[in-house]
Amino acid sequence: MNNTLLSVCIALLFAIGTFMILRRDMIKVAIGITVLSHATNLLIVSAGAFLGGRTPIITSEDPGSSSGIIFTDDLANGILAPIIPKGTEMVFVDPLVQALTLTAIVISLATTAFLLILCYRIYQEHGTTDVSEIRRLKG
Amino acid sequence: MAGILPAAEKVLKKRIGWYAAAIALMSLLLVAQAVPSVVNGENIQGSVPWLPSLGIELSFYGDGLSIMFGLIVSGVGILIMAYSNEYMSKREDLSRYYRQLLMFMGSMLGMVFSSNIIQLFIFWELTSITSFMLIGYWRNRPMSVYGATKSLLITASGGIFMLAGFLVLNIITGTFDIATVLQNESMIETIKGHEFFLFALVLILIGAAAKSAQGPFYIWLPNAMEAPTPVSAFLHSATMVKAGIYLVARIHPLFSGTDAWFILVSGLGIITMLAAGFLAFRQTDIKGILAYSTISQLAYMMAMYGYTTYQYPGIGVAAATFHLLNHATFKACLFLVAGIVAHETATRDITKMGGLRKDMPVTFIIGSIAALAMAGVPPLNGFLSKEMFYESSLEMGHLLGGPLEYLIPAAAVLGGVFTFAYSIRFIDGIFLGKRRSEHLPKHMHEPSLIMLVPPAFLAILVILIGLFPSVAVQYIIEPAASGILLQEVHLHVSLWHGFTAALMMTIITFIAGIALYTKYDAIAAWQDRMNARYPWFSINYAYDRIVNGAQGKSSAFAAVMQPGPVKPYLVALLLLFLVLGAIPAMLVATTLVPADLNFNVPPYEGILLGLIVLAALGTAILRKYLHAILAVSAVGYLISLVFIYLQAPDLAMTQILVETLFTIIFLLVILKIPQTFRENLTRSVLARDLLISSAVGITVLVLLLNATQGIASPFESISYYFIENSVPLARGHNMVNVILVDFRGYDTLGEIVVICLAGLGVYNLIKSRSDSK
Repeated sequence: MNNTLLSVCIALLFAIGTFMILRRDMIKVAIGITVLSHATNLLIVSAGAFLGGRTPIITSEDPGSSSGIIFTDDLANGILAPIIPKGTEMVFVDPLVQALTLTAIVISLATTAFLLILCYRIYQEHGTTDVSEIRRLKG
Repeated sequence: MAGILPAAEKVLKKRIGWYAAAIALMSLLLVAQAVPSVVNGENIQGSVPWLPSLGIELSFYGDGLSIMFGLIVSGVGILIMAYSNEYMSKREDLSRYYRQLLMFMGSMLGMVFSSNIIQLFIFWELTSITSFMLIGYWRNRPMSVYGATKSLLITASGGIFMLAGFLVLNIITGTFDIATVLQNESMIETIKGHEFFLFALVLILIGAAAKSAQGPFYIWLPNAMEAPTPVSAFLHSATMVKAGIYLVARIHPLFSGTDAWFILVSGLGIITMLAAGFLAFRQTDIKGILAYSTISQLAYMMAMYGYTTYQYPGIGVAAATFHLLNHATFKACLFLVAGIVAHETATRDITKMGGLRKDMPVTFIIGSIAALAMAGVPPLNGFLSKEMFYESSLEMGHLLGGPLEYLIPAAAVLGGVFTFAYSIRFIDGIFLGKRRSEHLPKHMHEPSLIMLVPPAFLAILVILIGLFPSVAVQYIIEPAASGILLQEVHLHVSLWHGFTAALMMTIITFIAGIALYTKYDAIAAWQDRMNARYPWFSINYAYDRIVNGAQGKSSAFAAVMQPGPVKPYLVALLLLFLVLGAIPAMLVATTLVPADLNFNVPPYEGILLGLIVLAALGTAILRKYLHAILAVSAVGYLISLVFIYLQAPDLAMTQILVETLFTIIFLLVILKIPQTFRENLTRSVLARDLLISSAVGITVLVLLLNATQGIASPFESISYYFIENSVPLARGHNMVNVILVDFRGYDTLGEIVVICLAGLGVYNLIKSRSDSK
């Protein structure tokens, strides 16, 4: 990923998410957590992507291309993906980060749902969504 | 040998005490059938691989020492289970009681036959845990709970030290197998010469001392007397407390012959022996007397196992082993007698007893035999091993020379004098004299045969071993001692040796013992006064301070570290992130912002990123929940578009689906939560939060810009493996899917578990509302 604009965008998302989780309103905090997880996912996926990379799906158009022609990284010279080796046409973006992020997205759905229901229950018990107020009520 | 454990475990669910006794009998027979081969010098071995990658296997090793312990554990086990049939009231939860007793017996047997030290440690801690459960058997009594907690804290944490010692030993030898080390002389030499020698020895000894109630760790044993009496007889006199002694005997070949061994083991033993013997005077609880006497008797064995020099390894080993067997017989017997007495008189206070010999003559005879054996009166078995103790003390003192030549025998005699005095106290206080209390029941009678036979059997054993020691010596003691010393041992034990120095010492012991007994009450009273005057001069006091202090201290600690509101945590975390992440990064990077920034992006992508930022800003600025939520879902959908540009179609698809669900859930929740609360952002709060969040944002940006500069990582990415193998190995063309379901299938399983748990949590949260209303 050598796209500066994307980096700026991710950094801004992080900043906004941080600002949101510092709020006193529980719902706002939940939104902040969601923004943060979006930013993290974007960061991880973009780390594995690069210009000219191909979708990590092997199609019949490139028969035999799956057999290790993809990266010719040269550890001695410090060259690693995501740098595209010269003379190679077919390059896949990193599939591993995508798989990890896919898991992360689904898990964040589960945790956010739980968090929201928790907010709902707290509201039912205490009648407010103000974190400091709830703290005070608890004593 | 391995057959013992499954056999014991299979029946844990069975109920009746007789059945439990039958299991113990079965174990006894299993152990006993191994005796002939061990007498011939053949040890039994067998193993099952367990954690082969760590070199840990489930392996069993039976030599003379293990066999002796096996016999004691299962033999006493039979008597205890039989005795419990009558002792325990039928209303009690008997299945739990026998289950735990059998579990204890199983783990004890597993421990003594373990060949692998990790396995030994596991069984060791299992005995601690079962002991904890049995001491706390009467859950409603605060003293039971206190005693149980104390014993668990001390013995289990001693076990942790022991484990550390074992690991050090493993570093030295490179194996976890005891038998391998024992059969390899060069390895033993390596251990003795190694720089970690002392370290390993001290750590293991802490474990042994904690288990056997030696040194400062003795305090748990008197409190453990809250257990039902058969349990005390079984665990806290005959078997479990001997686990520490077993360990000392087991590691004897590895560590003995050195000064450190003598000073640590014998020193600990002698000091404990004297202190516990002396402290026993103050006890008025008959089980308390027995507890202190157990501590001091165990210390005898400790001291004897410590007697060793380079020239004469293991002077006291045979004596200690013999005493171990004898102690198991007479002390279990004494406890059972104490159980009978307490059962019939409904008290355990010795000051209220007296004159019981008329009411229960048989119990009187049995108890006297056992107590006299403990005192070392001929011709009982205690006399023989006490003689051997004196002999080895003399020999050891002689070998060392100097002042120790007299000090060691003198300490031994003093220990014997204390033992004599409290043994006599046990007989005199309970059975002789007149009744001292009117509160005792009028009609006391002998217990039923079920309760009488087990102690009677032990008492007969006490006499038999005393009169005909050669049988026990040949079949049990000699193999056990050779198991410890790793060489053939031949003992000659008989009642009459002629007028030896040891006999003189015994006679001195009796005379001094009788003299001391006349002052018994005065000493006890003096101890009471001292205790009242200086309450802090006791280890129990320190223990209580630590344990009770822990609760207060931890809540004070929690109050400081966990104040409650989320904000302090967040601030701390973010500051840590800044310190750990940002500052090193800035030190590494020569410039904060690299020169070759790449703003060369297609216009549609630029617009997309701009929209994301705009939507995210919206979530922060928009006041109403609905608007903010719509903004955040806009962020999500836009990011799924970015995923498409980043060549991640699967992610884009997932993101769209998840985002839809997520928006629906969010909307459902805010339907139920009217927005009543509006945070008033004061200028200072706003400035602070903006500062924090922009610091985070800038740090992320700097890290990212520098990370994209193509810094070579020192290792090869594992992604190539997945790329190359997804078709050949998994026959899948979509690599992401292949990774999720094939290569990293367990991750996905974990993910599904998380979703299930979240679902359950949500369900329960909603359920709990309907319950409360």
